[in-house]
This record gives sequence, structure tokens and C-alpha cells, in this order.
Amino acid sequence: MDFDIIFGNAARAAFGPEAVILALAAIGLNVHFGFTGLLNFGQVGFLLLGAYGTSVSVATFGWSLWVGVVVGLVLSVALAVALGFPTLRLHAVMFAIVTIAAAEIIRILIGSTDAIGLTGGPLSVSFDAGAFYDLNPYPDGPHDRYGVGTFEFTGQQMWVITVGWVLVALVSLVVYLIVSSPWGRVLKSIREDQDAARSLGKNVFSYKMQALVIGGVIGGMGGVIDAIKTSGADPNGFRPQVTFFAYTALLLGGAATYFGPVLGAILFWFLREWIESFLRQLSAEAWLPDAVADFLSGAEGVISVAMVGLTLVLLMLFRPQGITGNRTEMQLDAR
Amino acid sequence: MPDDVMPPPESASAEAEIEPILTVPPVPGAPKPNPLLVVDDLSRSFGGLRAVDVDHLEVERGVVTALIGPNGAGKTTLFNLLTGFDRADTGRWSFNGEAVVAPSPDQLARKGMIRTFQLTKSLAKLTVLDNVLLGAPRQVGERLSAAPFRSRWQDQEQANTEKAGELLERFNLAHMRDDLAGTLSGGQRKLLEVARALMADPVLIMLDEPMAGVNPALAQSLMGHITRLAFEGLTVVFIEHAMEVVTGISDWVVVLAQGQIIAEGPPWKAIHDEVVIDAYLGRRRAEAGS
Ligand SMILES: Nc1ncnc2c1ncn2[C@@H]1O[C@H](COP(=O)(O)OP(=O)(O)O)[C@@H](O)[C@H]1O
Ligand SMILES: [Mg+2]
Repeated sequence: MDFDIIFGNAARAAFGPEAVILALAAIGLNVHFGFTGLLNFGQVGFLLLGAYGTSVSVATFGWSLWVGVVVGLVLSVALAVALGFPTLRLHAVMFAIVTIAAAEIIRILIGSTDAIGLTGGPLSVSFDAGAFYDLNPYPDGPHDRYGVGTFEFTGQQMWVITVGWVLVALVSLVVYLIVSSPWGRVLKSIREDQDAARSLGKNVFSYKMQALVIGGVIGGMGGVIDAIKTSGADPNGFRPQVTFFAYTALLLGGAATYFGPVLGAILFWFLREWIESFLRQLSAEAWLPDAVADFLSGAEGVISVAMVGLTLVLLMLFRPQGITGNRTEMQLDAR
Repeated sequence: MPDDVMPPPESASAEAEIEPILTVPPVPGAPKPNPLLVVDDLSRSFGGLRAVDVDHLEVERGVVTALIGPNGAGKTTLFNLLTGFDRADTGRWSFNGEAVVAPSPDQLARKGMIRTFQLTKSLAKLTVLDNVLLGAPRQVGERLSAAPFRSRWQDQEQANTEKAGELLERFNLAHMRDDLAGTLSGGQRKLLEVARALMADPVLIMLDEPMAGVNPALAQSLMGHITRLAFEGLTVVFIEHAMEVVTGISDWVVVLAQGQIIAEGPPWKAIHDEVVIDAYLGRRRAEAGS
């Protein structure tokens, strides 16, 4: 059992591109759910369109990567508007159902064999993200490593995560600026009681739509980073659980806080990878009965996700406001 | 007869102070000299139940009108219809000289028709101050394009904060301005909702049982505020059950029973009306049943 390796793996996951992507998804959800109270269960749809918009633009249409990025973000806006118009006036539960269904429909369409010519269908799509890596300032020789001990990255990885975390910081700052304003006060009033907001002259539909678009585009940015990091996109990467991982990260860090979703994403990946690495090492231990070792090997990923789920349950029981949330605020829900 | 030709100045001013509303005949649907709200043929049914069925109603500008009637008379439903929170089956109404077409709550509110709710809608996770600030109309900082640029809205926010502070002071909530509204008592939330409504610079304020659950001392001061607001030109319609409140602060009373206006008049007349007493005692229903 080598805890250095376990820790190194966990730390790399916590600060790697996956955490960046999750952080962006969670920040977007925070705008939807945390501040506005919109129960969006289809956040992954925005990531999907960000990733596929970028990938397909470059791979299928031969456009430049930067055009692809714009296409990805525009498609996220389009999804928000298309979802919002028919459903934002409906009950919150209807909205939730429509969002999860819409995200699944898009994933199934994009991954269908009929779509092979356009999106690669089930085969996934890949493209050359050279335009991004050309800008990499980190020397990226075969022996260049950045970090300490087992916590280290290659030059390419460093470039992705540098851009990624700078983006996360900028997006968090923008969210902070717009939400800590009278505009943000209206969002929160809609979350608390939309009829009260209406009775004071606020156009609830318009504010919900703005929140939906903003949170959706932030999710779309996560998708763009995903596409660049993997130089492509695969329909299996955009299953509904991505949305629930984002909710986990958000609730872990603290919904309706500014730093919560980022902290939550980091912790989520740290925990998940720590448990998975630990189990992988455990299954190799000689003293373990064969039957148990057989069961464990291969199931580490699933078990670690289950453990993260358990963490969320415990969190909801003992610290429902999340790590950075405000306890008194949370207790008001019980009244 | 020089006295008739030239009355003494005191009596002239006394005459000017007689409110025009007192010249209105106390009959259901009576036209008013200067109506702010005019309602015609308004109806709303829930299944077989006709909750609101108003032929004609005028609300006089600048006075305090009490809307009374037994439980289930349709008072709240009438508020909901007029403010756009519920759709009428039939009917039309005009507010401030403008016909209300396709009523939507936020649009009507922006035109100055502000209502409060029987079941208080305080925004639990916002501070008391933020609750009141939310009421302020025409906020620059509520536009997304201006929101991130504090310098564009902070002066207005500052002015609003001062005004909100005064309102909170008036309603004895100033010491709680930074507490979350969810921590207030039921009565305090009622007051907060009234303060928030006043923050919106209403032309017409419609209060649905504003005194319910408010402790007597605060209710007394709330009554004082309402009288003062009307004196300053605000039009007030409020729903109330306590007769001493109705007689204490209203200039005019409208009585609703089973969705219909059964009586109207100055408080001392209206609440002694035979029909009204019958409605409250449920004699009509008993008769209908026998
Ligand atoms: N949404 C609704 N659905 C069905 N019935 C309703 C609804 N709202 C009100 N009612 C009925 O309409 C009548 C009038 O209700 P309401 O306006 O709340 O009375 P009031 O405020 O005068 O006590 C009552 O009989 C009530 O049960
Ligand atoms: Mg009522």
C-alpha cells in the first residue's frame, strides 16, 4: 500500500482538467439552482454542446479551433433559449423533467449511427487541437515534469489546467460581480418566492431566462475545455450522471456561495480518485481473499463513485449547507 | 343675506375638507367622483363555485377603502384577479385611467398597483433590508448590462437604502435589518411585506389582511401609517376582519359575500346594514337551505 501514490493520484485529479470541467459545470448550476432556484437536471447537455460544437466545427467542417469554441458557446446559448421558452413558465418540476430529457435526447441523437457523418455518432469524434497547444509556454519535452513527488503534470497538461483554472477564476469573478448586485437580488427573490418578485414588478420569466443562458454558457465552457483536453468528444462522456456529479460538487462546496462550486469540484475529484486508487492498491494486497480481490479489481471506479454518493448523503445529514455555506440560511428551509 | 353671499373663511375651509367620497350614495356599485380603479362584470368560478361575481366597482382615489366580508367571500380572489395573479373568466377593468388588457402581475406592479399577500411572502433567505430594497422601482442595477458595474448603480442603491432604512424604522424593524427575513415572527413578516410594498412607490396599495397576527401595538401604528399614507395621496384597499380596524381607518367600506358586492358605504353605515349583518351571521345561507 503506497499512500504517496494514492495521494499523488488524488491531487492530480483534484487540480487536473477534469476538476476544471466539473467546476465550470457546477458554477453554471450554481447560477441556475443556487441563486435562481432553477432545478436544471440537464446541465450535461450544455457541456455536450460546448464539446461537440467545438469538435464538429473543426473535425467535420474544417473550421479553426477558435471558431469551434464560439460555435460551442453559441449552441449552449441556443439550448438555454430553446429549453427556457416553453418551460420556464411551467412548474419547477416540469422544468426539471424537460431538462433531463432534452440532454438525453441530444446525446442519443448525436451518438446515433445516423449521425456518423456529422458527429462521428457512436464512434466519437476527434480533431487536432494544435492551435491551442501551439500557444503552450511550458516546455513540453518527454522529460519535462511540473510539480512535486507524485503530484506532477506534463507540459501539455500544465497548459490545459493553467488556462482552465484562469477561466474558472474569471468566470467566478464575473458571477460574483453580477450576482452581488440588485440583479442578483432579483434572482434570489425568484428562488425564494417568484410571486413575491412578480408582485414587486420583476419580470420573472426574463430573469430566469438570463440566468439559464448564463449558467448554460458556463457549462458550455466546461464542454469546450473537455473537447480541447481530449482533442475530441464521445457521447458516452455526457451521460446524465455528469449533471449529478456537478450537483454533488455544488452541494459539497455550498450552493449559493461564490467559491463553493470550485471547492466542491476539487474535493469531489480528490475524494473520488483517492478512493479509487486506494481500492486499486487494496485489491492487489496478498492477504485479501481471492474472491474479494476479484470483485474489487475492475469495480474500483464504480465503488468510488458510490462512496462519493455516500459522502453526499452524510453531508446532507450533517452539514446540509455544504462546506462554505451558511448554516442559519439552511435551517430556514425547515420552517 | 350677506352671510350666504360671503361665508366666513373658516366655514369655507371646513367645507373643502368634507371628502368627496362622502357625497357618494351608499349603494353597491356606486360611481365615485374620482375613481382610480373601475371594475366591470368581473367573474371567476372554481368548478361550480362562483368565487367572484362583481357587476361594477369603483375605488376612489386617495382614500382608504376596506374590503370586508365573511370567510370565503372571494376577497382574496378579487385581489388576485385585479393584480393579474389569477385569470378572470369574464370582465374588464381600468387602472389609473388605463384599460387593463392582458393583465400580468409584474406589469401592473410597475404601473403602481402593488399588493401584499394573505399568506406572507417574505423572502426567507434574504436579509430584512434586501427584502425592502427589492421593492424599489426602476433600479438600474437590476439590468444585467449594468449589474457588474457597481459605479453605475451604487448611488441609486445608496438612496434606496436610506429610504428602506426609514421604512424599517417606521415599522419597528430597523434593529433587524441585517437578519434573514426567515427569522422574523409572523407579525413582523406582515409588516416587512407592507414596508416592501411601500418601497415600490405604489399608486394603489392592496393589503390582504395586513393586521392578522400583528401584535396590537404594532397594528395600531400600522393603522396610523395607513391613514397617513392616504393623507399623502396614496390609495389604499385593505381586507380586514376586525371591525374596530375597519371603522378606525377606512373612509369607505365595500362588503363582499359569496363573490358579490352586497353593500358599500361609509364605515358607520356599511357595517350596520341589515344585509351585511345577515351575510355575517349566515342567515341568507340558512334561509336558502330551508
Ligand atoms: N385556487 C382555488 N381553487 C378552488 N377554489 C378556490 C381557489 N381559490 C379560492 N377558492 C374558493 O373561492 C372562494 C373564495 O375564496 P377567497 O377569495 O380566498 O375568500 P376570502 O379571501 O374572502 O376569504 C372560497 O370558497 C375558496 O374555497
Ligand atoms: Mg382571503
